[in-house]
Amino acid sequence: MSNGNRGSLADKIEEIVSQTLKEIDRASALAELQSIEISCLGRKGHLTGILRTLGSLDPQERPWIGKLANQGKERIKERLRLRQVELEHKELRKELAKETIDITLPGRPVRRGVKNIITSVVEEITEIFVGLGYRVAEGPDVELDYYNFEALNMPPDHPARSLWDTLYVTDKVLLRTHTSPVQIRYMEEHEPPIYIIAPGKVYRRDYDISHAPMFHQIEGLAVDKNISMADLKGTLEAFTRAVFGPEARIRFRPSYFPFTEPSAEVDVSCVICGGKGCRVCSDSGWLEILGAGMVDSNLYKYVGYDPEEVSGFAFGMGVDRIAMLKYGISDIRLFFENDLRFLEQFR
Amino acid sequence: MRVPYNWLKEYVDLSGISPPELADRLVMTGTAVESVQTLKPSFQQVIVGEIKEMVRHPRADKLWICQVSLGHRPATIVCGATNIKVGDKVPVARPGAILQGAVLEAREIREVKSQGMLCSEAELGLGEDQSGILILDPSCQVGLPLDEALGLRDTVLELEITPNRPDCLGLIGIAREVAAIFGRPLTVPSVHVEEGELPASHWIRISIADSDLCLRYSGRLLQGVEVKPSPLWMQVRLGAVGLRPINNVVDVTNYVMWETSQPLHAFDYGKIENQQIIVRRAREGEKIVTLDGVERYLESEMLVIADDHNPVALAGVMGGVETEVSENTSVTLLESANFDPVSILRTSQKLGLRSEASNRFEKGLDPNQSLYALDRAAMLMREVAGGTILKGAVDIYPRRLAPWRLQLRPKRVIQILGCPISKKEIKAILGSLELEVSGEEPLEVTVPTFRRDLEREIDLIEEVARLYGYDKFPSTLPASSGRVGELSWEQKRINLVREVMIGCGLWETINYSFTDHKSMDKAGLKVADPRRHSVAIANPIIEDFSILKTTLLLGLLQVIEKNCRVDKENVFIFELAKTYHPRDGQDLPHEPRALAAAITGLWFGRFWSEPVRKVDFYDLKGIVEELARALDLQEPQWLPTSYDPFYEGKCAWVEIGGERVGIAGQIHPLVIKRYEIPNEVFAFELDLDRILALPTCQKEFRGIPRYPSITVDLALIVDEEVNYLQVRDVIQTGGGKGLKDVTLFDVYRGRQIPEGKKSLAFSLTFQEEDRTLRDEEVQEKVDRIVQELNRELGAELRSR
Ligand SMILES: [Zn+2]
Repeated sequence: MSNGNRGSLADKIEEIVSQTLKEIDRASALAELQSIEISCLGRKGHLTGILRTLGSLDPQERPWIGKLANQGKERIKERLRLRQVELEHKELRKELAKETIDITLPGRPVRRGVKNIITSVVEEITEIFVGLGYRVAEGPDVELDYYNFEALNMPPDHPARSLWDTLYVTDKVLLRTHTSPVQIRYMEEHEPPIYIIAPGKVYRRDYDISHAPMFHQIEGLAVDKNISMADLKGTLEAFTRAVFGPEARIRFRPSYFPFTEPSAEVDVSCVICGGKGCRVCSDSGWLEILGAGMVDSNLYKYVGYDPEEVSGFAFGMGVDRIAMLKYGISDIRLFFENDLRFLEQFR
Repeated sequence: MRVPYNWLKEYVDLSGISPPELADRLVMTGTAVESVQTLKPSFQQVIVGEIKEMVRHPRADKLWICQVSLGHRPATIVCGATNIKVGDKVPVARPGAILQGAVLEAREIREVKSQGMLCSEAELGLGEDQSGILILDPSCQVGLPLDEALGLRDTVLELEITPNRPDCLGLIGIAREVAAIFGRPLTVPSVHVEEGELPASHWIRISIADSDLCLRYSGRLLQGVEVKPSPLWMQVRLGAVGLRPINNVVDVTNYVMWETSQPLHAFDYGKIENQQIIVRRAREGEKIVTLDGVERYLESEMLVIADDHNPVALAGVMGGVETEVSENTSVTLLESANFDPVSILRTSQKLGLRSEASNRFEKGLDPNQSLYALDRAAMLMREVAGGTILKGAVDIYPRRLAPWRLQLRPKRVIQILGCPISKKEIKAILGSLELEVSGEEPLEVTVPTFRRDLEREIDLIEEVARLYGYDKFPSTLPASSGRVGELSWEQKRINLVREVMIGCGLWETINYSFTDHKSMDKAGLKVADPRRHSVAIANPIIEDFSILKTTLLLGLLQVIEKNCRVDKENVFIFELAKTYHPRDGQDLPHEPRALAAAITGLWFGRFWSEPVRKVDFYDLKGIVEELARALDLQEPQWLPTSYDPFYEGKCAWVEIGGERVGIAGQIHPLVIKRYEIPNEVFAFELDLDRILALPTCQKEFRGIPRYPSITVDLALIVDEEVNYLQVRDVIQTGGGKGLKDVTLFDVYRGRQIPEGKKSLAFSLTFQEEDRTLRDEEVQEKVDRIVQELNRELGAELRSR
């Protein structure tokens, strides 16, 4: 064969290859690709046909024509593979498009329950004090008059006993009116240093929108060498900010409790009006959240501590009241109704 | 304690101090202020006028036409009153004024135009007198608004006085605080009693028989007082503090009590037998009708004021009706005394009778103030009721209370307060409270008798602290280091229990610790049920709260009941709380912690993706099993039983590790019906303390199995009576160590299964730790299991 022959064969290969590549690109279905492959590379395919004639070529030309044809074959194969992947994706997409779901349908519920709001607040407060190095102590709900009053510096006929409207079981047994008896019980059993809080239920003979006969308190007690009123102030400020947020203003003012001296009450700026004055805070701009003070040294006599050696502070707060203030709940009795429509709001 | 700002001004200079500022400083020094109220009279735009001229109405002989000066211009007013004369100062309401909610209009009375009206006390809402026009004090300035002229424009501070400060139950005591706070002088009204010639001691004999309960008793006699309404200024003041004006004699005693904190009492001297007052304990069986009209039976520990025969007053609590002052009283005996606080408290508690007087006496008053108060009252009474004060007070005061001394270490002040207050500041603060200070280290402090609350060094430290101002204290944290705050193991476990319950889909409820026998009846607890043995409240607030709960189940049933009533019928709840059980021979009950849960209704409610399914026993059981797993306990065992308020045959004891820890089951249909709950209720109650005491299974790492497992399904047909656990036990025994898991995946009755039988389908997983199992080996094991099942339980193979 002549050079011209060689040239025309090369051209032909070139043409078949470019023609086939175009067809591949145009193919719109996998079946089409298959027939293209067969018509080009199959046993009777165009390119196969040319490769078959290689034997009749000038041995000098054979290698490079062969190479040309093989290169063309590889290019077609590669293009077929890519196009196949493309078409497969396209067809899958088409298939998937038939199977779309309504993603706006509500998700299947996870049956998780609800923690009571009182528990949440107790846990929140407990966490703060555990962080400050306190442990958690407990005491009985049904308490001796001795622990509830007498050892708290209120002997029988002390006028301050009337500050609590007490539910009695017998003359000397009652439902604790505060968590303060835990102070005495704990000090009886332990030596300073003491840093504890004591959450629990307490009881009063009261029943209206702002009083439930049962509610929750958290008592705190710290007894150590050199504990001062300034330590009490710092501790309660840290606590109040943690619960009511850093922007809450705090007021620490003198008060009276029979078992602390000096005594204090802590007010936080009204969460409803921000301190401008409203019905909730009786126009004062302040909400009372806890009572506190330096442990009255008379208590140490009951538990055998030396008041010249140790000093301490104690505080008590109403959990329900704090929850009411935090969430703007106006009726304390709602906490004990367990209406699902109430509970679910704190999900 | 209500404190009118203008009244307080009589005892301490308040210039430049507004009521809100006063309230704020009181609060910050320890006197809580409940409210600051502006007083508003029921009338508006009524002014002081002076009658300049009065002529008869030409067409009505009972009416006057008055020319009334109002300052700038006169007004013509027609009036029918008979108690007015020219020169009187009177309240004038002009057109536009508001009287008792109505706007006054000008009107014509028989052709004479009246430019307003003159008002009576009743028309102004100031009192009950409507007999004539209110004649004002001649000193009232013409043209001034009436509320201002009468001192009705005032602000009242409602103070909360703590029980340790009875001295502040009088305005002078509060003024003393204010004086100390603002560094201003205190003005105590000076007393000058103008006495007559007759000596009181000739007319009255006073003796204290029980001097342990009466520290001092002083009396004065007033002859010829005219009992009538008090002057308006006094009525206005008493009204402002919430005391109802009665008559001038009683009003003066109340007025002086409000001023000095010292309760006083006035007797009709004529009704006191044998001119004799004896302060003594009551005799068993004695009675007295108190001023509130109630007949009181007295006990021997109660202190009374008696005449020669009978009690005439309950000492320090309330007077008697017999000797009450009336218009017919000609001689008044005025009492000012000091009684033992505990005795007064007990008497008033026993009788359920509290009064302004008992409220003060029970906190301990200063016996040295009683004579001052007596003289002040006598003086005022002569002013407002006339008469003559007999010469001398009869004053029985066996043991005089003298001021006492306390030591105060300035170093201790700093140590307790954590605040560097100087000795100079300490002295100044104590001095401002009228405490005398001498010495240096320690300071010697003399306490006046009106501060009986100051008994110890710490009391003085508190005085220093509160007047120095807590707001000036630094804020520090306790300095000690090396302590760790944490929850105990048990506390953490309890928190875990709660989290598991919530994780299982239950909502946490908190119920009252109270219940009552009615609720136990409703739940069907039998009379002999040990849970009926409860702690009873001696003074319950309502009958529903008369005992303490011995089970949490009743509370949960009530919660379901209440929610069903508002159409919330799918309820999944739990409670973690104490129950209360009396213990023989012990004062305090046992208070174990319990955990109870109750579920009812549709597990998922009605939801698009879920089949509608009511909860059943196995939902409940799954929760208990999950709890045991989470707490690393052994698998709970379930033992059929019958127990109220559960359904017999659908109720089981729950045992863990051989220990009975609680009960679970379906609530009895009759109980559900009584609670009007529409769906079945399943509930459990566990003894949490017992559960927390159980040994836990240590979690142990065993390595990931290296060799493959083989799972075989096994469907058996067994008699209905054969239960799952029996079958599983046989399978487990037969499978031995190589059987890693047995899961029941189907329970079937019906087609292809004979009557009285059921099909149980299990999936068995075999695995060895040291080699790959061969199929034949497994087949052999399964065959052996099937043989055992057949031999022990009569089970047949259904298919493989
Ligand atoms: Zn507010």
